[in-house]
Amino acid sequence: MDENEKIELLKDILFANEYEFEEKISKRVAFLEQTLKERGRLSEKVDPIIIHQIEEFKKSIPTTLGPTITKTLKIEISNHKDAVVDALYPILGKMVKKYVAQEMKLLSSQMNNQLGFLAFWKRKIRSTYSGKNEQALILDDLNETKIEQVLLIEKDSGILKASFTKSETIDEEMVSGMLTAIKSFVEDAFNKKDQDLELIEYELYQIHLQNFATHYMAVVVSGTFSLSSKNKLQDVIFDFYNSYMAMNLDLVFDTSKGSKSIIPVKRSQLEKELKKYFLNAKI
Amino acid sequence: MLKSKKIVVLGHFGVGKTSLIRRFVTNTFSDNYKVTIGVHITKKVIEISAEDKVSLILWDLEGTDDIVSIRNSYLLGTHGAIFVFDVSRPSTFQQLSSDLAILNEKLPKVPLMIVGNKADLVSEVEVKALFEKYALKVDFLTSAKTGKTVNELFLNLALLLTADA
Repeated sequence: MDENEKIELLKDILFANEYEFEEKISKRVAFLEQTLKERGRLSEKVDPIIIHQIEEFKKSIPTTLGPTITKTLKIEISNHKDAVVDALYPILGKMVKKYVAQEMKLLSSQMNNQLGFLAFWKRKIRSTYSGKNEQALILDDLNETKIEQVLLIEKDSGILKASFTKSETIDEEMVSGMLTAIKSFVEDAFNKKDQDLELIEYELYQIHLQNFATHYMAVVVSGTFSLSSKNKLQDVIFDFYNSYMAMNLDLVFDTSKGSKSIIPVKRSQLEKELKKYFLNAKI
Repeated sequence: MLKSKKIVVLGHFGVGKTSLIRRFVTNTFSDNYKVTIGVHITKKVIEISAEDKVSLILWDLEGTDDIVSIRNSYLLGTHGAIFVFDVSRPSTFQQLSSDLAILNEKLPKVPLMIVGNKADLVSEVEVKALFEKYALKVDFLTSAKTGKTVNELFLNLALLLTADA
């Protein structure tokens, strides 16, 4: 082996690692060049990062851009009130128009009923005897207080014992439960153990609540619910409740069998009683 | 014959009380969590025999961190109760024995079902380990999401209540 061969051998031994390293780097650079040149392969690598960044941006919108957008909207609305009214008018206008039309239809139908042949003569006679003019009597009739629904409810559990209604409504057992929950909440909130919730009002209806020791009665009333109507309604309620208590007393002990088992009053029987007292009640 | 029974469903926040009731009443489930405020009342009539039906009036009480703070007035006249905890959240059952002691005071002699909900979130092995670790005694392991044993829970309680009556 001559000098040159020895030097070459020594180089191979000394730089073997560097050669391998250089080759790896060359391959890596070639791969990166290829990736950058081919759109498909590049998007494979970059897309997940972009998607992640977009998601982060979406999440941060309420805190970063939200206040600016709200502020800008407020300024725009304040500066262009007429434009906002113009934009909203068709929507609100339609709603108001629809509501008024519905009420007019209802009023018209009630007026037609009032103007029927029989109603006409009844009113004539009433007008003659009462001294009130016919228009006033029509208005009185339209505003008449009516009992729409009666519920007899167990006070603690809110379980419906019996009901009477002139028209189908939503589930009465759920209504009874909700009324009981509302009563409990209000009575708890005011922290007055000896006081009860007595009236709930909503739009054209009032729910009169009459409390007894173990039960309460909820009576849904439409029309003008004056103090006088309330007094008359209470009279009807007390009459019914007296009858209910009497029925309970009759049935507390099954004396025919000589045993002391408690027999609850049948719901159908109770509902007959409710109908008897409330169907034609004038309040 | 149709009997009505008041059932209160109670437990900590977000354990799935409303979802359990919704699964039972309407057979639906939603991942969208809405906090119950106050109380929400629903009803389902179930047939327990050829002649007998029970109308279950379900009082879904708002979740609390502390069972003591439940309004007593909501519990009046209760026929049966369901205490729900979340098997995937130990904070909802770590105090189980003291919670149950309070409930027994508030609802004396009222049949009570103890329910571990969200069973779909943990494996059977994990559940077993949890029960051993915390010495839990549970009546039903349910999942409002999959519907697992939800109907069985309410049917069992209804049977228990009608047997008592």
